[in-house]
Amino acid sequence: MQISPFLFGDKIMNERTADPILTTEGIPLKVSLQKAERRNKIRATLLVAPLLFFILITFLIPIGDMLLRSVDDSYINTVFPKTFEKYKKWDRQGLPSEELYKTMFFEVKEGSGYSIGKATTRMNYAKSGWKSLLKKSKRKFKKIEEGPYKEQMIAIDKRWGDMEYWKALGVMVDPTTAGYYLNAVDLKYNVDKEIVQQKENRRIYNHTWVKTFKVSLLVMFFCLILGYPISYLLSTLPLKYSNLLMICVLLPFWTSLLVRTVAWMVMLQQKGVFNNLLVMANVIADENRFKLMYNETATIIVMTQILLPFMVLPLYSVMRTISPNYMRAALNLGASPLHAFWKIYMPNSVPGISAGCMLVFILAIGYYITPELVGGKDGQMIGNWIAYHLKTTLNWGLSAALGAILLGVLTVLYWVYNKLVGIENIKLG
Amino acid sequence: MFKLIKAAFLGLIAMAFTASSYADITFVSWGGAYTNSQQKAYIDTWSKGSGVTVESYNGGLGEIKAQVEAGNVTWDVVDVLPDQAITGCDEGLFEKVDQSEFLNDLVVPPVSECVVPQIFWAYTVFYDKAAFPGKKPKRMKDFFDVKKFPGKRGIHTWANALIEMALVADGVKPKKVYDVMSTPEGIDRAFAKLDTIKDHVVFWSAGSKPLELVSSGEVVMAIAYNGRIGAAILSEGKDFEYIWDGTVLEQEYLVAIKGGKNTAEALEFMAHASSAASNAEQAKYIPYGPMRKSSINIIKKGEPWFIKEGGNIDILPHMPTTPKVLKKAVIADPYWWADNGAEVSERFGAWKGN
Repeated sequence: MQISPFLFGDKIMNERTADPILTTEGIPLKVSLQKAERRNKIRATLLVAPLLFFILITFLIPIGDMLLRSVDDSYINTVFPKTFEKYKKWDRQGLPSEELYKTMFFEVKEGSGYSIGKATTRMNYAKSGWKSLLKKSKRKFKKIEEGPYKEQMIAIDKRWGDMEYWKALGVMVDPTTAGYYLNAVDLKYNVDKEIVQQKENRRIYNHTWVKTFKVSLLVMFFCLILGYPISYLLSTLPLKYSNLLMICVLLPFWTSLLVRTVAWMVMLQQKGVFNNLLVMANVIADENRFKLMYNETATIIVMTQILLPFMVLPLYSVMRTISPNYMRAALNLGASPLHAFWKIYMPNSVPGISAGCMLVFILAIGYYITPELVGGKDGQMIGNWIAYHLKTTLNWGLSAALGAILLGVLTVLYWVYNKLVGIENIKLG
Repeated sequence: MFKLIKAAFLGLIAMAFTASSYADITFVSWGGAYTNSQQKAYIDTWSKGSGVTVESYNGGLGEIKAQVEAGNVTWDVVDVLPDQAITGCDEGLFEKVDQSEFLNDLVVPPVSECVVPQIFWAYTVFYDKAAFPGKKPKRMKDFFDVKKFPGKRGIHTWANALIEMALVADGVKPKKVYDVMSTPEGIDRAFAKLDTIKDHVVFWSAGSKPLELVSSGEVVMAIAYNGRIGAAILSEGKDFEYIWDGTVLEQEYLVAIKGGKNTAEALEFMAHASSAASNAEQAKYIPYGPMRKSSINIIKKGEPWFIKEGGNIDILPHMPTTPKVLKKAVIADPYWWADNGAEVSERFGAWKGN
């Protein structure tokens, strides 16, 4: 242990005896040190505690909850526990026995309206029609006093005699399900709980996943192409000009996202500013106006503009630290400007490129409001489906699964990046 | 100077105290001309102790479910669509209400035990008369006929009403639409019809958008909420024309969120908002059809009912609930949508994206 002599006085340095080293108060130094350190540790922990608590509440718990929701299927088991118990013994050949019908009958008849209401929403995901069947049954079962129940139930609604409905229950028997994840990649359980492809006209997600990655990569690419020269200029200009330019970069950043998006709508729509100018200048004919709004092109253009500062800022702060002497030296030693740039400047700016690309890509992949507003029919991304299921269908399990996949993909990308480039190579300034 | 500041400060404190002794009811609706009509018809005339804070949302039960599940309900009264009224009531998100006052006065029976009546509104096709100098589109099938009437069409981003309209355009009688929709072939047929305009559509999701699209010439025809079209014609003097054929009527209700902080007052407010007088009053500002029969009678007697500077205007020609329109209209079936909505919506999403 090396301890500065100035800290504890000469005593420590001079008395190298077998006795424990004591402080001036006569307490062993080790204990005293630990005490001091403990106090520091507590102080440090207290300082970090609010942040830790904040992250726990706003970040870790919601993510944990999301991951749970994406596999949780236990609710329905609490609504029809006895039915599901009996259901497991059903051979799935021919209609169930009177006993199973009877159990279902009583659990529907005596169950609380709300819990059955919630359960039917879930059951409808497995097979459309459960909702109205149970709603109707709940009303009509009140009039049935005694068994046998099977015939009476089928008489109320012939769907009770449809094997497909009974088989569909089997998908929900387990308290956890991979069903939401399957749905998120256009697969599903059929009524026999085999994994099959979704019907062709209902396949939306794989297509959207591909599109989401494509759009995010393109946006990242365009941001880099556009942001690199600006950042270079910013970092090399004298301060009084670069400050002005910096404000130009930051100004859109300070403007509301919605305002910018709507401004683009005005600019790009078929009878918008851009097309009007071109028509007025006779560059294009009136009937050949460009379709730049409400499609994928619009999504890419608008997102690029919105995310550009996230590329420029890290690039700029890294470029500012690259000494101009390197380039001068390379040129002096006979490299062509292009060669010097490629061999000297570019590698030096890689940390900024990495940081900018990561930021833009991660932000882009979860984007939702811009594609919603300008994306039209083919510019929608996975975030739009997450929002749709959260808000409209209330299929939160599917939303959670889509979100979890997004999180998983990003984690994998981050890992790959770390392996290839090294995370220590990221620099924000 | 100092005294003045002190006085102002005390005044502020006093205001804060008087305001907090009544909790405001938070009323959530769709914004725009519609919320404006609600404001004038029954929020401004609500004189009970509490004030009413108005917020806007974009529909869906997501936010409501989140509030109820988190036990932090900040909305009290919400304006909802019928399929949400059904699901929300089933799942226990809404309070049950006393419906005896209006039960026998409604055009259609209420969809659940949690609702008080608001209005009938409609998905209606409209166009700017200037866009068709020659032959004008008159029927739903004209909306789906891009050869006869070339140009883009504005449609909404969800499946409701589009399936019904496609079938009407394909020759299904309005009263038979849901019979056809209940068969898989019927849905295929609707999507086949939608395919015919797929390359000619511009999607909108906010209610004000189709009006902008038609006004700016971005599209030649669009589906919009009939009240917005009416407001544009009546208040802004736009030269729009309705195509009533195949228009799809939807119901609109108010509900109280369960677990709200001032449920008792919210229920009182709902009773006020759904009275025959309030229902009729709303039509002075927006041409949606009241759900209460007695309100329609009040309007009939009171014509010209719609308030406008320089002379009021007859409102009935702009309403989706006149006998003339009802003959050609589809009344949307919320039960069908509650049951099949998810499946059809996914298919619609696939149709949109591919």
